[in-house]
Amino acid sequence: MAFSPTIPVTVLTGYLGAGKTTLLNRILSENHGRRYAVIVNEFGEIGIDNDLIVDADEEVFEMNNGCICCTVRGDLIRIIEGLMKRRGAFDAIVIETTGLADPAPVAQTFFVDDDVRARASLDAIVTVVDARHILLRLEDSHEAEEQIAFADVILLNKTDLVDAGGLAQVRRRIRSINAQATLHETQNCVFPLEAVLERGAFDLDRILEIEPNFLSEDDHEHDDAITSVSLRSEAPIRPELFMPWLRTLTAAQGQDILRLKGVLAFPGEEQRYVVQGVHMLLDGNHQREWKPEEPRTSRLVFIGRNLDPAALQAGFDDCAARAA
Amino acid sequence: MLVAEAEPALIDRYGRHVALDAAPTALLWLDTTAAVTLGDGSVHWIGDDADPEAVPVHAGAILAACRHPDGAAIVTGGDDGRVCRVSPAGEVAELGAFSRKWVEHLAASPASGLLVAGVGKEAICWTKGTSAPSHRYAVGSTIGGLALDAKGKRLAIAHYNGATLLYGTNPNSGRVALAWTGSHLACTLQPEGRFLLTALQETGLHGWRLADLRDIRMGGYSAKTRSFSWDRKGKWLATSGDAAAILWPFEGKDGPMGKPPLLRAERKGAVVTQLAFHSKDDVLAVGYADGVVALARLADEHTLLLDTEGASITVLAWNDAGTRLGWGGEDGRIGLLAMDARA
Repeated sequence: MAFSPTIPVTVLTGYLGAGKTTLLNRILSENHGRRYAVIVNEFGEIGIDNDLIVDADEEVFEMNNGCICCTVRGDLIRIIEGLMKRRGAFDAIVIETTGLADPAPVAQTFFVDDDVRARASLDAIVTVVDARHILLRLEDSHEAEEQIAFADVILLNKTDLVDAGGLAQVRRRIRSINAQATLHETQNCVFPLEAVLERGAFDLDRILEIEPNFLSEDDHEHDDAITSVSLRSEAPIRPELFMPWLRTLTAAQGQDILRLKGVLAFPGEEQRYVVQGVHMLLDGNHQREWKPEEPRTSRLVFIGRNLDPAALQAGFDDCAARAA
Repeated sequence: MLVAEAEPALIDRYGRHVALDAAPTALLWLDTTAAVTLGDGSVHWIGDDADPEAVPVHAGAILAACRHPDGAAIVTGGDDGRVCRVSPAGEVAELGAFSRKWVEHLAASPASGLLVAGVGKEAICWTKGTSAPSHRYAVGSTIGGLALDAKGKRLAIAHYNGATLLYGTNPNSGRVALAWTGSHLACTLQPEGRFLLTALQETGLHGWRLADLRDIRMGGYSAKTRSFSWDRKGKWLATSGDAAAILWPFEGKDGPMGKPPLLRAERKGAVVTQLAFHSKDDVLAVGYADGVVALARLADEHTLLLDTEGASITVLAWNDAGTRLGWGGEDGRIGLLAMDARA
């Protein structure tokens, strides 16, 4: 069968008023040479006429697959299938979610539905954050926290509306939730679009740059706060131990694990193995060959609630191949 | 018996290929003329030995199509929100326009003259002979599929968490709500209206025996079921979504309850995507995700290879007389086979 590459999908999240619509209008109006199909939640807000803009219904439903936290966006499955009938009319898809949306069903849609997976792949979740209001939002809204937790790219917007001390505090708070997302600071969503769109493979390489256990205990603000745990191993990871461990872990703690990502070196394998997950759903694949100069370090990042860094590191270490 | 790919494909001797520029979304026959609707919004009429004649109809893709109840044209629904009647002469008449919506489902009955379109959360109806919508039914969530019985009166609407059953010719029809958790996609009514079957997002079918609303579960599929075909007597329902065509028995009042399905035209490594029963004989045309098309006999598991590997088969249909079979793959390769040439 003819090979056809999957269409990259960017998911745009962010609390009400953070600046998502400004960003969307830029994506639709700027002359960047790419054609985007855009799935929006409120058509009226977009000031541009384009037959590749589609209204979403945000229809979330539970999968009947025995996975209790597995919800997906039925409308996205339908819309993406419909768009694929016009293959060639666009290069990539951007999905806007409502300010109050939990990003999990959107992300899970790309793990669960075989037909969607065959045609489209999640490129990045981009979260627009309002620098002035985010600390208050985080006090009263789980969604605001989860939108940051799920992000691969965070646009810290309206930085001109806070002073230097306030900005530092916001940065620190964002990093305590999600240590590994790429963070851009902007004033009116003014920054190069290529920093956001079609990033490729969830920016997986970035997790190699993060120091393990970036967080100290002081960063925990309250008991159910979302945190990141970053693990590493210099010794190669044995897949026959790692896969069952990860499956057992996500089955038991999947509700608390919002996202996980990893780049793994298996013994004697020339290919990097990448793994990613949302709640209980996991997806893994050989990505590319290790470069000659690249240290074969395995890394794994968890973002979620009630994560125990010591227990996770111990479990990860048990999957490592010991020197004979 | 497995479909043998070593034998020569029948299309090379009794048919021909036509290359179109976009993915086919429906293939319909009017006598011996095929209408192929495409993802680029056009309809291509292809007569015997004639070049395809393109008719531009929709901006964007044609998402659904069916024959017009009067049998003289087809009806198309597009992602531009329009419903159009398109004749073989190339005349296009707009039957309805639903701004900023997609028209994803169409069903029509020559028996009752009813035409129904699924547009978002509404089923829009045109009663016999009308060229503008006559009434509509709203359901709680987006429509996943529409089906009419053989008389064209019973209308089934599949949606999230179940289906709704009503009389489509009656604007004030009462409703039967059929509940089952999950997202229900395509649906089909047994021709006599005794059973309703829906395809589930998680794969497999859910069924209801309508006499007593008893639930029926039909599982074991590896992919979503997207194609249904009833044999001419309403005895067998052929379904796509696995490496073989899966045929459920519907004789008797219990239907498939407690009975195993019949498997036909199995192939290794390719899922059945489309199937169509012949109108007069016990044979079933089967299209697969790898472009192969085969003909299976119900009686003895014998199969014939009709077309070789290509892109996934998305459309497949016989004409009424059973003398023509047409199919199409995602890459725009259309196969047209003349069965009366085999004398």
